Amino acid sequence: MSEHLTPSRAPVSPEPDNEPMNPYLAGTLLGLTLLASFLILGAGLGASAGIARLGAQCQLLIAPEHVAGSEYFGAWGGRPLNYYLSYMLAGTFLGGFLSALVSRRITVTMERGASFGFLGRAVLTFAGGVIVGFASRLAQGCTSGQALTGSALLLTGSLVFLVCVFAGGYGAAWFFRRQWHD
Amino acid sequence: MINTLYAMDLLGTPLAFGAALLIGSAFGAVLERAGFGSSRRLSAIFYFRDMTVLKVMFSAVLVAMLGLCYMSHAGLIDAGSISLPDTVYGAQIVGGLLFGVGFVMGGWCPGTAAVGLASGRLDALLFLFGAVLGSILFNELFGLVKPLYTMGHSGTVFIYDTLGLAKGTFVLGFTIAGVVAFWASELIETRMGTGRLDRNAAPLWVFTFLLLITAGTYYSLPPAAPDAALPVQAQATGQAETRHPGIAAGRIDLERHLVAIETGEDHIEPAQLADRLMAGAAGLRLIDIRSAEEFAAFHLRGAVSIPLPELALHLDELRNAETVVVYSRGMTHAAQARDALAQAGVPNALLLTDGLEGFFRTCLKPVSLRAEPVSEAFAERIREWRRYFLASPDRRAAQPLPAAAPAHVPGLISAERLAAILTEPDLRVIDTRPQPEYNTSHVPGAVALNPESLRGVVGGIPSMLLPADLLARQFGALGISPETHVVIIHGDKVHDATLVAMGLERLGHTHYSILDGGWQRWHAEGRPADTRLPSITETVYPVPPADGFTVGAEAVLAASRDGATRIIDVRPAPFFTGKASDEARAGHIPGAVNRPFTLDLASGTTGFASPADLAKAYESLVPLRDGRVIVHCRTGHQASQTWFVLRRLLGFTNVLWYDAGWTEWSARPELPVATGDK
Repeated sequence: MSEHLTPSRAPVSPEPDNEPMNPYLAGTLLGLTLLASFLILGAGLGASAGIARLGAQCQLLIAPEHVAGSEYFGAWGGRPLNYYLSYMLAGTFLGGFLSALVSRRITVTMERGASFGFLGRAVLTFAGGVIVGFASRLAQGCTSGQALTGSALLLTGSLVFLVCVFAGGYGAAWFFRRQWHD
Repeated sequence: MINTLYAMDLLGTPLAFGAALLIGSAFGAVLERAGFGSSRRLSAIFYFRDMTVLKVMFSAVLVAMLGLCYMSHAGLIDAGSISLPDTVYGAQIVGGLLFGVGFVMGGWCPGTAAVGLASGRLDALLFLFGAVLGSILFNELFGLVKPLYTMGHSGTVFIYDTLGLAKGTFVLGFTIAGVVAFWASELIETRMGTGRLDRNAAPLWVFTFLLLITAGTYYSLPPAAPDAALPVQAQATGQAETRHPGIAAGRIDLERHLVAIETGEDHIEPAQLADRLMAGAAGLRLIDIRSAEEFAAFHLRGAVSIPLPELALHLDELRNAETVVVYSRGMTHAAQARDALAQAGVPNALLLTDGLEGFFRTCLKPVSLRAEPVSEAFAERIREWRRYFLASPDRRAAQPLPAAAPAHVPGLISAERLAAILTEPDLRVIDTRPQPEYNTSHVPGAVALNPESLRGVVGGIPSMLLPADLLARQFGALGISPETHVVIIHGDKVHDATLVAMGLERLGHTHYSILDGGWQRWHAEGRPADTRLPSITETVYPVPPADGFTVGAEAVLAASRDGATRIIDVRPAPFFTGKASDEARAGHIPGAVNRPFTLDLASGTTGFASPADLAKAYESLVPLRDGRVIVHCRTGHQASQTWFVLRRLLGFTNVLWYDAGWTEWSARPELPVATGDK
């Protein structure tokens, strides 16, 4: 499924044997997974916390005293990865890997429009990651922990976050449209 | 009630780590199946080419929301079951906008990037590097962004409260909005030439139908938790005014009242309340003004339930209380109730700041889930509060038991403690072992009693505990008076001791204990032994009126039909199911549950299982400490042990004994019999 094989208008290559699941079925399964998380863990899904814990662990390796003394990461102690959401992130990777393996969707590629450069895409995705990492800490969650989990719990702040994500995304979409031009 | 790992404060344990790994795997697999291992597909929503992200996310939110609604309505989950992220308007608005920009730049969000990396996407790897760096950046800039991080902090806020709607109304409206969004997405995709409405229409019709039925049914359900009826509260105030016209009309009182509100003297902080309750709460009346159903689901330990509409009926007793604290889920109703009480002349009426929600947030939220740093001293206080208030959220019976302290009668006495008090006057030790064993060796001063000598034919039924007058004669012959501390010793049958205890209970003699572990433990610990017989001066034991715990077949029949009484059949399982029988008919009383008496003993010993294990075993059978229970076996002998466990070790207050048991029930053909497991 590398980019130069992708037909011009279709969002992903529509190879019939590994076509994505019906979105409503996928949504229902995702909702049931979230429900299971609520009932077993007593907390919803989360991804960005695992990433932040990874960040804290990385920083601990470089500057342990600085991290221990810092106000935000410092509260997580000397073993920040010792947290249930770190394991959930590992599980997300694992589950995604097994599913992609089974449905033969693993392709080593830098996804981008055919007319957009490799380096440009690399810079954009990295910068997007930095912003998302920062914003997730600010909002205390990401699309999983706030938008999905909090919205299902009907929490006002999470729904506000969800609306703002789409507002921000649609507001900025025009500036980054070229990376998907074929 | 479902006990989540969060509710049990186990989120920081390997068990939760394993569960999170599995749930995460399911999460990742579903994301991958949905096609979210591709940044091109994810970002396509921002160009209206492919609305899959919206369809999947909104579907998931609706499914989980409706599931939670029904579970909450059924009482399976409550306020303490699930961690609720706080609403922080400023942080979430700015964070959301920034997140959206990052999302459209990178084409990923954290969860999907993990799946993208697993699918081989190099851009996902770079995105994740960036996100790790962004997190570190946040830590470095935390001092600067802290004001924004806490801006608009509002605690737990539900959208239907924010909008001033009933929960059911919002749920239905939100579901309809979702359905409209799904159909609009399909139309948009068709317009853009990327849609598959031909293929998606049929499943979407089914999904639309199911969602609307589920949400519509929830909307039409009677509310499980009517938070309050305001007109009645106004009536409460009015009634008080007629009774105390001077107080309510007094301008000075009103001024004082308003000043109290202004200065916050009408509040009590969660931590302050928690500490007062744990210290014994002297002079404090804690009132839960939510509905009785909500109270039953969860309440603060030490609270009494007076639903808001009934508050007016309790004014007199509240006026006499030193301090009255009212609480509700949030603040509004409690504040109104507190005002009504103050105006009705209840001095020192306070309301709990931020209500139950605030109490959870301040006192009961596990340290592991707090965003703010917590000092070790405060963490210890949180752990103490959680131990006290969440020992078991809705089941008093599971709260830590008094551990049957040595001096605690009726209950268990340790061999060490018995050895220490052996020489005390007014102590009578009864040995229930067979006579040859007693003759060979016994506790010094002990008297032998065959427990069967306390039973006989009553009303044609064999093996019935004798009437009180005959028991009084027997215990009088053992030199026992109402002041005597009786210690009962058993051999390998614990229920021999509990049958003797039943005899004492029938006389209203509760000053007794059973030697923990029986003769075996006494002997194993090398305690003193003797072969001499004691010298006894007979007493005349007064005959009390009938005991309050023995019930007959008619009461049991009525209980088997009322649905409010738990009937526990303690016989071995084959007799319960009807596979084995040595009576007139095989089987059990309809509606009874089987809990063989042997399960209450520690395996391999002649003693009871630990109080914690017993409490755990019975909490599901008898959810409330004052729940009505009837225990029975074949002759009443084994059931006496279960009665002792429930009544005297676990502290259940309404435990009844069907002494005649299966002997009578099976022999009366007009009484119904069930067989099998249920």
